[in-house]
Amino acid sequence: MTVRAYLAVGLALTGLYFAFPAGGTAQTAIYTALGTSAAVALLSVRRGPWVLLGLGIASFAIGDLLSVYHPAHVMDAFYLAGYPLLTGGLLWLLLRSANRNRWAAVADAGVVLFAFAIFQWLYVLAGSIHSGFVLAAYPTMDIVLLGGFAGFFVSPAWRTPSFRFLLGAVALQLVADEVYNGSSYGSGMWLDALWMASYVLWGAAALHPSRDALTRTRQMPALRVSFGRIALLATALLTVPVAIVAEELGSDKPGGPYVIAVFGAAIALLVVARLTGILRALEAIRRRERQARSAAEEANERLLEADRMKDEFVALISHDLRTPLTSIIGYVELALDDVGPALDEERRGYLQVVARSSERLLRIVDDLLFVARLRAGNLAIDRARLDLCSVAAQSVEEARPRAERKHLALSFLGSGPVFVDADRGRIFQLLDNLVTNAIKFTPEGGRVDVRVLTSGASAVLEVSDTGIGIGADTERVFDRFFRTPVAVAQQVEGTGLGLYIARAIAEAHGGEISATNREHGGTTFRIELPVDAGEEELVA
Amino acid sequence: MSGIVLVADDDDDILLLVTTRLKRDGFEVVAARNGIEAVSLAEEHRPVVAVLDVGMPGLDGLEVLAAIRGIDSLKDTRVLLLTAKAQESDVRRGYEAGADAYVKKPFSPAELAARVRELYDASTD
Repeated sequence: MTVRAYLAVGLALTGLYFAFPAGGTAQTAIYTALGTSAAVALLSVRRGPWVLLGLGIASFAIGDLLSVYHPAHVMDAFYLAGYPLLTGGLLWLLLRSANRNRWAAVADAGVVLFAFAIFQWLYVLAGSIHSGFVLAAYPTMDIVLLGGFAGFFVSPAWRTPSFRFLLGAVALQLVADEVYNGSSYGSGMWLDALWMASYVLWGAAALHPSRDALTRTRQMPALRVSFGRIALLATALLTVPVAIVAEELGSDKPGGPYVIAVFGAAIALLVVARLTGILRALEAIRRRERQARSAAEEANERLLEADRMKDEFVALISHDLRTPLTSIIGYVELALDDVGPALDEERRGYLQVVARSSERLLRIVDDLLFVARLRAGNLAIDRARLDLCSVAAQSVEEARPRAERKHLALSFLGSGPVFVDADRGRIFQLLDNLVTNAIKFTPEGGRVDVRVLTSGASAVLEVSDTGIGIGADTERVFDRFFRTPVAVAQQVEGTGLGLYIARAIAEAHGGEISATNREHGGTTFRIELPVDAGEEELVA
Repeated sequence: MSGIVLVADDDDDILLLVTTRLKRDGFEVVAARNGIEAVSLAEEHRPVVAVLDVGMPGLDGLEVLAAIRGIDSLKDTRVLLLTAKAQESDVRRGYEAGADAYVKKPFSPAELAARVRELYDASTD
């Protein structure tokens, strides 16, 4: 609303100006009032770039006033000071707002500036430079102003009403200046209308609410190789040859430079065409890359989702398997119970097979459930101070019947206590996994040794066997579902989860697990856990 | 107080398994197939030990436990919870709710009977 009123009053005053005698006080008053109002409007925005623009217009307005009362050189000083201020303000707006493409914008401004400078030189400056500095300075300042403004064409994001007012203001200023440079001027001429309208537009640009959009930093869309941009650059490239041709045509004897210019123009156009092709190809490659990347991301997302669903499924199934297993294990035990009806040896043997198989199945289900929980981030560790030696001794004793069935020597070495801050159930599970593995992979007549010791600040647990070994897979044995080629070839049953679980438990306690091949066959698994610092009487 | 053990499980096979095993050990057993039945049988028989399945539909084991703990005449009843959930947090919740013992499924019937015997003896000492 304010903008419309300001525009209406401003343009009405511009019209009214010509009703008064040329060069009279009334005209001066109107002229100065318009300039001052624009300066006040710009300064009132109170932001760096706009203040600079305001100072530029204020400088013009002071020049207007001085033109009546003071010598021309004082007036010229104010007028000429206005141009760099305006240019500075425009460039400041540009640099502050366009964060990514600011240097592209400045480069575009440079191209336009130099192209305009050539014509300005040929038709205005070259003639006036001999007539004195001041006369030459005005057209030079127009070049500066235009250069400052050219950068604004960098993005459609700028096309706000405030931007259009600025565009109009600068355009009117430049047209008026150019006409002024090329003709003789007298106060009260129609040319004044252009300058006054320019003031009104400067003021309107400052008053329009959309001016804030020009000051705000924004993420400019990526630079595109648009036809408009290419045309602009091509036009700038053609400036020199066109200027030479124009000059030559005006001369008496068109000659060498004419031909050079024509070929120069052709080369320039070809280069632009070629560059356009290259840039467009690059753009297409980038686009395809982006598409490929987003497709890959989508596929990855789907895989992760499938993996998560699989984990959930495994957890659900494992849980549901435990209920029927309770019945199987329980009833087999009931059937084998001495308290109940007597069984013949054959049936007792059958039921013992069922019992062993059920235990094995339960172990697999528990492993799967453990892994599903681990991957869902639900591995609970209930820490308490415990003696690693006593846990290891218990594990060894529980495994002894299995070792004896295979005629393996099973030994435990540990002169504890070695205290760690750990979850007893989990540590037992870890040990049991390693000892069970060692028994499983060691041929009859071999041996399995379990040792607990301390090394520095670590509690060390070692399980060594004289088994089939793990070959080169000392790292991969801890991967989920990994089975060594030897284990697969010899059809040793297993899911490939035992060592994965062992590593997870060791790491959940801040420890480490490693596997090494023994010199004369077999494997040693070594676990290091932090010693519980509360204990001082550690025994090595 | 009678010498009775209450067993509650919605799975008929498990119910029969536990009941049979406890009877072999000489306990007098009353069996409930859901939580509501368990509470009413508990009030009626005032068992020394109650073996409750946590995962029953309707009134679950923890709710039956809460009901038992709220009945004055049952304040001496020892409660053993049975669950298929092996999470430590579930164990903790059970103890916090006032359980005296906890046995995870799948369990050995002999081991369960031994735990019930411990609770029974502790209660009747």
